[in-house]
Amino acid sequence: MLSVKLRKSLSGFNLDVNFTVSIPSYSLILGPSGAGKSLTLKIIAGLMRPDMASIQWRDKEIAFLPPEKREVVYLPQTLALFPHKTVYQNIIYTFKARHISVDKRYVTEIIDKFQVTPFLNRYPSSLSGGEQQRVALARAIAARPKVLLLDEPLASLDFHLKMNLIDFLKRIKKAFSLTIIHVTHDPIEAFKLAENLFILEKGKLTFQGTVKELFMTASSGFSAEVVRQLKSVFIFCPTHLKALQN
Amino acid sequence: MTKLLRFSFFILGILCIGLIVIPILDIFVTLTAKELVKTIYDREVWQALLTSFIGASLATVLGCILGVPLAYLLSRYDFKGKRIIEGIANLPIVIPHVAVGIALLCLLNEKTHLGSIFAYFHITFVDTIYGVIMALVFVSISYVIVSASIGFNGVDQTLEWVSRNLGASMAYTFWHITFPLALSAIVRGAILAFARSISEVGALLILAYYPKTAPILMYERFEQFGLEAALPVTALVVFFSLFIFVILLSLSRNHALR
Repeated sequence: MLSVKLRKSLSGFNLDVNFTVSIPSYSLILGPSGAGKSLTLKIIAGLMRPDMASIQWRDKEIAFLPPEKREVVYLPQTLALFPHKTVYQNIIYTFKARHISVDKRYVTEIIDKFQVTPFLNRYPSSLSGGEQQRVALARAIAARPKVLLLDEPLASLDFHLKMNLIDFLKRIKKAFSLTIIHVTHDPIEAFKLAENLFILEKGKLTFQGTVKELFMTASSGFSAEVVRQLKSVFIFCPTHLKALQN
Repeated sequence: MTKLLRFSFFILGILCIGLIVIPILDIFVTLTAKELVKTIYDREVWQALLTSFIGASLATVLGCILGVPLAYLLSRYDFKGKRIIEGIANLPIVIPHVAVGIALLCLLNEKTHLGSIFAYFHITFVDTIYGVIMALVFVSISYVIVSASIGFNGVDQTLEWVSRNLGASMAYTFWHITFPLALSAIVRGAILAFARSISEVGALLILAYYPKTAPILMYERFEQFGLEAALPVTALVVFFSLFIFVILLSLSRNHALR
């Protein structure tokens, strides 16, 4: 189990989050802008100092570890590919940073799975949005993270690319037995990906469960808005809607 | 933009460039070949050029060693008194350089505590190369700090975060992500610092007249023998300054393009 408890106060904003997810699993934190979604991920990744935090991976506390020792990889919305390094150098960066020799078999497996072979020697600025996404994910997986934190990874993609990447994320989660926490404000991503769904509003978790449970219980606030949006999207997909409502 | 305004800007731009280029060209136009040849064989001129080059180079290196870490701290951390530190870092730009020379002479002459400590290690600043370097570091270091700060501010902090999560220590992240991405700006600051150092006169007149740098030699020739004697030395110094400046600038541009 991955258990997260954290508190952080910023000017006029209080984040107070407490949740547990199974390993491996795909969890999704859904919330409006300014709810504290990215802040939650940054604290889990060790990139921001909390007022209080307990992050337990299989009952082992990791909250006091520095970011490089947590085996948690945060992938920001901007992807943060290193612009002065080629795609290959980006992917093997984790080995160089840890001063260990490159695991060529594993890297080859990643390169194949993420289909980045055609542009290994190119720089990130010359890649399309979808290609950059795949490289950023390949680089993250190369670090063999216990937990992969995705900060609105599909936000800047068009519908077609988004759907492709959703399938891709499902496949890599299974292939690498990952525990993924993905934050977004898009209910469709929640519907497509979430095994565990969390709704975060003004720094507090107002719902924990599955999308189906959300459909059955949501009555007000952002949860109700999510259900309303999903219903309006699935008006032309009655099978999806039926699956959620029954 | 209306045509009239654009035309006015064009004329003002031409005047601006003329203001810079015409006096420099005039030096070379006024110069006779005979005087130039005589200067080329003048050993004192070459010695002064070498002193200028060595002094400016060492001052730039020292300025980078001291200035770049400060620029990083100012760029990445918020702390009490940060504004004051930023102000202090810019002080050398606004203080008259003769005043810098006087201040350094007061602080570092052998009769002071600090001066005597350095003297114990056989380092004295009055009329020595150490004095030249110290004065040049003082007048040029702000350019390194300001430019490097701009460079570090331009490096997206999420790159550093991701690097840390991928297993890199803070030091590894600095040397492999932050520093290479800020390097163009640091190099530009170093070039400006070098250019500022090579042209310095005021502080050197007070603290370290000897060993003579090229600008000091020009000033001395002008004072002792008049304009005609100063002109060929000036031409040679301007030529070499421009030559070095263009090479450094193109190197930095090539690096930025890569």
